[in-house]
Amino acid sequence: MVETPRTRTLRAVLTYAALVAFSVYCIFPFAWMVDTALKPTAEIMSKDPTFWISSPTLANFAAVLVDSPFLVYFSNSLIVATASTIVTLIVSIFAGYVLSSWGRLPLAQIVGGAMVISQTIPGVLLLVPLYTLMQKLGLLSTYSALILVYCTFMIPLVTFMLKGFFDGIPHELEEAAEIDGCSTLGYIWRILLPLSAPGILATCVFAFIAAWNEFMFGYVLMNDDTRRTLTPGIMIFKGTHQTDWGHLTAASVLAVVPVAIAFVYLQKFLVEGLTAGAVKG
Amino acid sequence: MAAIDTVSAPDRMTEKRFAARRTARIRRTAALFLLPAALLLALLVAYPLANVIYKSFNAASLVDPTRVGFIGLDNYRTILEDENFLPTLWNTFVWTALSVAGEYALGLASAVALAQPIKGRAFFRGVILIPWIIPIAIAGLNWIWLLNPDYGLINSWLVKSGLMQQPHDWLGAINTALLSVTFVNIWRSFPFYTISLLAALQAVPADLHEAAALDGAGPIRRFWVITLPHLKAVSLTLIFIHIVWTAINFDFIWVMTAGGPLNASETVPVMIYKYAMQDYDVGAASALAAMATGFVATVFFVHRYALARRKDS
Repeated sequence: MVETPRTRTLRAVLTYAALVAFSVYCIFPFAWMVDTALKPTAEIMSKDPTFWISSPTLANFAAVLVDSPFLVYFSNSLIVATASTIVTLIVSIFAGYVLSSWGRLPLAQIVGGAMVISQTIPGVLLLVPLYTLMQKLGLLSTYSALILVYCTFMIPLVTFMLKGFFDGIPHELEEAAEIDGCSTLGYIWRILLPLSAPGILATCVFAFIAAWNEFMFGYVLMNDDTRRTLTPGIMIFKGTHQTDWGHLTAASVLAVVPVAIAFVYLQKFLVEGLTAGAVKG
Repeated sequence: MAAIDTVSAPDRMTEKRFAARRTARIRRTAALFLLPAALLLALLVAYPLANVIYKSFNAASLVDPTRVGFIGLDNYRTILEDENFLPTLWNTFVWTALSVAGEYALGLASAVALAQPIKGRAFFRGVILIPWIIPIAIAGLNWIWLLNPDYGLINSWLVKSGLMQQPHDWLGAINTALLSVTFVNIWRSFPFYTISLLAALQAVPADLHEAAALDGAGPIRRFWVITLPHLKAVSLTLIFIHIVWTAINFDFIWVMTAGGPLNASETVPVMIYKYAMQDYDVGAASALAAMATGFVATVFFVHRYALARRKDS
């Protein structure tokens, strides 16, 4: 490119300055959350807040883990998110396989079209009928209610993500397997799934994070405190009159840990999957 | 080839029958494989959607089972005569327009910076994605803490830097509550734009830039005539999706202000929730949800139309 060294340096400086500014903007609320969680109450309630901690403490974490229902909420979220991920994955593998291999069948086109449309319907508009439906089925405040809802809202996206991975596997493999007498199930289990394993793992993480982070349905469909999930549950730390910010931030840090680990581990896959699956220009 | 020519007529018949049987088997398997997904969509999307429209013309209550029956447009009248309805619509508009505009501006700026030949792109991209992976409920609660008027970091910074005389209760004041939540929503949502726009930017052929540079086009001119046109399709989709996602977002506003103070930050989803879960008026909530569904359908229709027109031209 025709650029003088001076403009090139200027451009590099501007670029890095912008990126550092963006990074600070993105990370400081998160850093402040961790910082507050490690402070004793006296330092949290300071009129002159700083990032410096004079006497760091784990007391907030201990209080959250021992004296609050945090662990109950945490395990509820773990159960619901894991179960929805597994069910979503099983249902979507079969649907994605049909859409990928036999996409021309009228039935496949109808279900595929229904999935596209259902992806555009926001959950909040269905909140009331879903609540009354769960009430009628006697499923309010049960894991099944949330698992069913999360699966339904994730299946379309996950199906299309999986279809994308399946499309990348040569069709000749399926023909060869069929000639060798391999059943459809055998082909999916022995060839399709192992070959698309990295993509499927990334899709799993995506579905898990989506279920783990969901707030509204957990808030509305789960009224029993022993069944409450983490995102609505954490709101109890924000008391009606006074909030113990140390406890709230400690609980936040603990709630974010699983998501953060999953994310760091699979960042590259997620970025690619999201750009391919979610926004097709 | 010769082998096929010598196949006798009966053999060809069995071959045809075999092919037909294979097609029938594929159809059955396909139907079986699609059944679970189709059942879930029918039970938890199609049925509730039909139910919203049906209930919007009927009396229905969460607590009073005797309140039933067709009442025509009464539910719609309840909504339209609610003195909060127009302010809520206006809030939803402000919240959506400012959010999407802010998110797009930050997303484009960060994507352009990330697309430069830099070291540590993966690192910066990872850091910029952080707000997007933190659950909204947790992000919202921690921003309440940052914006706290007594001990909050933001107020302390603003006062110390001399930008403000004294701390301000950002979420508790009528004139700043909605704008503050909008600011937080932009913080949380812009990384999605960054990732999508970055992917589109990296797909712009480098030789286009080189050719234009050789012809004497400066970086700013190249951005306008080469980069932006390449981003049009992605931008269109991003903006339309986010208009819908933002307009119907319940979490942020509910967690941070619950629509308050005095409904100053109430948007349509919060109003639906309050009608249903606080007034137990399922009919009115359904009427409002039905109107919102009409809005969503319109946005998607316009989006498809815009995309189709782009393809034609």
